Amino acid sequence: MILNGVMLTIALSFVAIALGLVLATLMSALRSLAGSWAGYIVDAYVELMRNTPFLVQLFMIFFGLPQIGIRMNGLEASMLAMTLNLAAYATEIIRAGVDSIHKSQIEAGLALAMSRRQVFQYVVLQPAFARVWPALSSQFVLMMLASSICSFVSVQELSGTAAIIEQDTFRSFETYIIVTVIYLVLALSLKLFLNWLGRRIFPQVSGLARVTEAHGEAA
Amino acid sequence: MNLMKHLKVAGTLLALGAGMLAASQASAQTITDIIKRGSVKIGVLIGAPPYGSVDSQGNAIGYDADVIALIGKYLGVKVEMVQLTPPARIPALEANKVDFLVATLAPTPERAKAVMFSIPYSAFQTGIYAKKSVAIKSWDDLKGKKVGVNRGSSVEREFTSREKELNLTILRFEDDATTMQALFSGQVEAIAGPDAQANAAMKARGETETELKFVFGMQPNSMTMRKDAYELRQWLNNFIYYVKQNGELNTISEKWVGGPLPALPTF
Repeated sequence: MILNGVMLTIALSFVAIALGLVLATLMSALRSLAGSWAGYIVDAYVELMRNTPFLVQLFMIFFGLPQIGIRMNGLEASMLAMTLNLAAYATEIIRAGVDSIHKSQIEAGLALAMSRRQVFQYVVLQPAFARVWPALSSQFVLMMLASSICSFVSVQELSGTAAIIEQDTFRSFETYIIVTVIYLVLALSLKLFLNWLGRRIFPQVSGLARVTEAHGEAA
Repeated sequence: MNLMKHLKVAGTLLALGAGMLAASQASAQTITDIIKRGSVKIGVLIGAPPYGSVDSQGNAIGYDADVIALIGKYLGVKVEMVQLTPPARIPALEANKVDFLVATLAPTPERAKAVMFSIPYSAFQTGIYAKKSVAIKSWDDLKGKKVGVNRGSSVEREFTSREKELNLTILRFEDDATTMQALFSGQVEAIAGPDAQANAAMKARGETETELKFVFGMQPNSMTMRKDAYELRQWLNNFIYYVKQNGELNTISEKWVGGPLPALPTF
């Protein structure tokens, strides 16, 4: 039973991270490449999602949307809410990375006759990702932990499962200490995995980090 | 290196957890303790009108809150109400966050292994609710349906015991209000719940599409204390008997449930 809950927590997080990241990349591209109105729309979306509680977003999708004819089950609503929420936060984090790319780099790219799209992809986006990967990783972990809120819309993930076990046995402390340890293991594993992934995808990150450390800045 | 650091952090957290376990030993408590302290902490249910909900100022109101005020009157001490959701009721009691609960808890044998109950002080009928357009007259009509229930409520068992036989898909929600909301928004086809809460929800929403399909039980509710609080239980039983006799409890029932106090069983 606990194992099912753990699997569901992992699945929810995986879907939200994968789709959220794709969505965030698309929105970042829109902000950089499309017209200013597209940028405004993205900004408005990011602010909307970052300044409302996740629980409210989830209830809006699960309880609110059926009133206008869009009905999803708890699992679908949870996946959608987590994806949309994570996409907004990730967009904001990627923005910081994009802003950190020096203008001279972009000019150099254009001078080499690269197209705007190529410049964005190779000169802006990839180095930006490399720089903010640690921040993104911690946001992914936060989202994984926030998936516990999905038990409110009847999704039996780890926390929902824990609640059922707790009410069957009335042993709150024992139940939640076990669940605490499981979340801890999940979060630390995810963090280690993301660190490893970061080193794989962005081999220059470690070098970059060392350079900035040598300059006395936080990596 | 990074892994070592993680392991150290995890180790520290585990040590902290073990320390908390040692510190979570409860002590027996008596009426004398409460009177000496001059105040009593009582857990009350929220999210289940008319028994327990909050007003616009955030204060607990309802049947339970009025009973608690009455307890304060007869105890002669200051009352502090601690608002709890259904799943948090027994854990809060066990963690010594409250002295006892007046929180619409049905005295079931399973629960009685962990806590102790007074004689019942309120009761409601439990039934199946669904949209008028759905034909449901008995349990068999629920075959293969998506049903909602308040997680941690006594009616949840009505569904879990029939889950396989009726091939039910059970969705569990945090409280009665959210469960009703799931029915209103069509996330479930039927719900099991107490009449008073369902009526209050339908009234608040002006819902005309939903109706009671059939009644399957009566749920008396007891006050709940820790397993060793015999003296407190004795006093509360005495209190319940007294306000049943003098009509004070009936007044509360008329005010919140809209009907006279049903004949409450005792044990």
